[in-house]
Amino acid sequence: MGARRTAPAARIPAVSFPTIEFAAFFVVVFILSWLLMPHPRAWRPFILVASYIFYGWVDWRWVLLLVASSVVNTVAARVIARAPSQRTRKRALIAAIGFDLGLLCVFKYLGFFVSEVDAALDSVGLGSPLPIVQVVLPIGISFFTFQAISYVVDVYRGDTRAASLGDVAILQAFFPHLVAGPIVRAEELLPQLRTPRDPRAVLAGPGLFLIAGGLIKKTVVADELARRVVDPVFNDPTAHSGGEVLLAVYGFAAQIYCDFSGYTDMAIGLALLLGFQLPQNFNRPYLALSLRDFWHRWHMTLSRWLRDYLYIPLGGNRDGPRRTYRNLMLTMLLGGLWHGAAWTFLIWGGIHGGALSAERWARERWPRFHLPAWAAWLVTFHVVCLAWVFFRSPDLGTAFDVLGQVGAGGPAPLVTLPIVFLVLAAIAVQAVPSRAWERAEAWLVTRPVAAQGVALGLLVVVADAAVGQQGVAPFIYFRF
Amino acid sequence: MPAGRVLGVVLIALVVAALLNSEAAVRAGEGMKEGPTRDIVLSVARPLDDVAGAVGLHLPRDGLDLAFGQEDKTGAGTELERGSTAILQRRRERRDQGFAQPTAAEPVEVFVTGDSQAEFIGQVLTDLLPADLFDVEVVARNSTGLTNPEFFNWEINARQEIAARQPDAVVMVIGGNDGFNVLSGGVLYAPHDPEWRLEYARRAAVVMRALGGGGERPVYWVPSSTARDPEQNAIYEAQNRGVERAARAVPGARYVDIFSTINDGQYSDELRIDGRRVLARQPDGIHFTRAGALVPARLTVRAMAKDYRVLNDLP
Repeated sequence: MGARRTAPAARIPAVSFPTIEFAAFFVVVFILSWLLMPHPRAWRPFILVASYIFYGWVDWRWVLLLVASSVVNTVAARVIARAPSQRTRKRALIAAIGFDLGLLCVFKYLGFFVSEVDAALDSVGLGSPLPIVQVVLPIGISFFTFQAISYVVDVYRGDTRAASLGDVAILQAFFPHLVAGPIVRAEELLPQLRTPRDPRAVLAGPGLFLIAGGLIKKTVVADELARRVVDPVFNDPTAHSGGEVLLAVYGFAAQIYCDFSGYTDMAIGLALLLGFQLPQNFNRPYLALSLRDFWHRWHMTLSRWLRDYLYIPLGGNRDGPRRTYRNLMLTMLLGGLWHGAAWTFLIWGGIHGGALSAERWARERWPRFHLPAWAAWLVTFHVVCLAWVFFRSPDLGTAFDVLGQVGAGGPAPLVTLPIVFLVLAAIAVQAVPSRAWERAEAWLVTRPVAAQGVALGLLVVVADAAVGQQGVAPFIYFRF
Repeated sequence: MPAGRVLGVVLIALVVAALLNSEAAVRAGEGMKEGPTRDIVLSVARPLDDVAGAVGLHLPRDGLDLAFGQEDKTGAGTELERGSTAILQRRRERRDQGFAQPTAAEPVEVFVTGDSQAEFIGQVLTDLLPADLFDVEVVARNSTGLTNPEFFNWEINARQEIAARQPDAVVMVIGGNDGFNVLSGGVLYAPHDPEWRLEYARRAAVVMRALGGGGERPVYWVPSSTARDPEQNAIYEAQNRGVERAARAVPGARYVDIFSTINDGQYSDELRIDGRRVLARQPDGIHFTRAGALVPARLTVRAMAKDYRVLNDLP
């Protein structure tokens, strides 16, 4: 089975938020953005250029890709909006989706496809004439292509008007959400982009809180769990006892939540400081009492995308139970594939698809039976953790090693009180009511400017001390 | 909150962070690729660090490092930064030098470390070595090398790691980040200078000795393999000649040649491994893929087999 071709953790690129380069970049963009905001004709090219600089800092060729995507989707949307013939409109839609998916396939899946075909032909003694493909995956391609598809489909459905090239370009390239979401709908961001934001009413409280919280989640929790227990165990599961493996599984559940939601929090917070509201992406997912509930709380913008642009067009739950289960399974399998070209991601999706289908079947079969909340939570959480084992493992062999090792005995030096506490805290903190956070935000924003600045600065120092000299590891979702 | 106040908060936060974190800022700058960004960061961070250090603003960060268990990986006055080339004078190894053979009761503890290449090579090595006879631990220090001790000092790190882990054998996978100019005798040398190669050999010897404890344990030094970029490849070739020289001089050090042996010293994205065509290199033209890491890992096992006889029986 093909192992994942992910690079070893490289130095964090300048495109990432917790870097000196980004801090300097953001201060400049913040100042200029608010100065230019009353002048939309100056502000719009400015924010677009700033976003392209942000994206192109790692590789300028990626900007060409983004521009191409914006041009193609703008033209397609214009055709869809203006063409009198339904046939023309449909062709334009198919062409745009074909282009967007084509981009994704070339950069993400071609290498996997070629090597799997090669392996299959090799196994029956036939050589393959296909060259093994080396393609660098542009950061964020999965996100901005999905965003583009969402835009043209919404135009086709009449949910949004066709926009200018400039608007579409900013919609895709707006740097807070460009590399790892949230996946924003046109109708959520375009109206904001068209209306100058009010500099007197910046949502600084929630913004700064989200940035600070995201930073702590990523550096103090996610990276620490990765370094201390998750990476050592998943690198060599059979060298670790059952206790360590179990802690690593729960640890990864905590790590990926803190890593991804930490990034999203920072993205949303930065956008708020610039005057823009991005949609929420996480809503305390580990409090879910069912898989359906989980997908209403985890990576919400992806799950709504899958629902609106895949599950419902496939038929949703309209055509009887069998078709519904098929649609659920297909949607989740493709959701798994979206993360990467590997069997492990497919199985991750398959577990979720299977569990969602099983849940639905059980609900219909025994409509009056309900598990007690604690049991429902326990089952849901462990199904999610089981799927995470495949998500995290570099190949199927490692995943099965992890699962096989759970019951093993032996000493567990990696199981330390601080790590156990971190895992529990990362999950339990989700139970803190939203009102408590809102009160803390409101309190923070009424402090003197200097006090807020010092508090935020100290937090940055704590975060940097937590990662130490190895630096911040790349965000997990940068690989997708 | 008005945007002006927000700006005030952000700027104050950055100033506070810069003052209390100035050492880390200097280290971050040292770790950047040479260019205008690095120059700008260091031109700000270094004077700031001098000021912060003079008024004791390092203390809170030192306290936090202690609380998080972070060890300082940089330091002034180490032999890695400045020392004699006498370390490269060839020493005769003791004829009876042998290392304790692994048993099920006392497996050999192998510590695999180095730069980012150590991750995949270490993982594959873990799979190759018999699990009942070899305990492998892999700790990669991404982006590190020997030519930038102000960013990460391998001599200091080696001593800390050996003191903490007390391994029986060390596999050191390093070289990919070593294109920096080096200072030797007060003169700056670039990678194409012969003096640079001598200095690199000296630094490799210092770290080999720190890892090997003067011959107490074998150190298998796995250097950079070929690179797709010809200029980079030439740098690696120069480095590796230096490393080879160092390995001859330091007791217990073994040079694992993955440069001239893999594909006869010619770079290729693909390799034929066990009869199958495999994508062996990452898109950067330097790192091995997980599948490709099998080749250097096997070469490492072959080198280890000269010290650990049981490995000669492996297929």
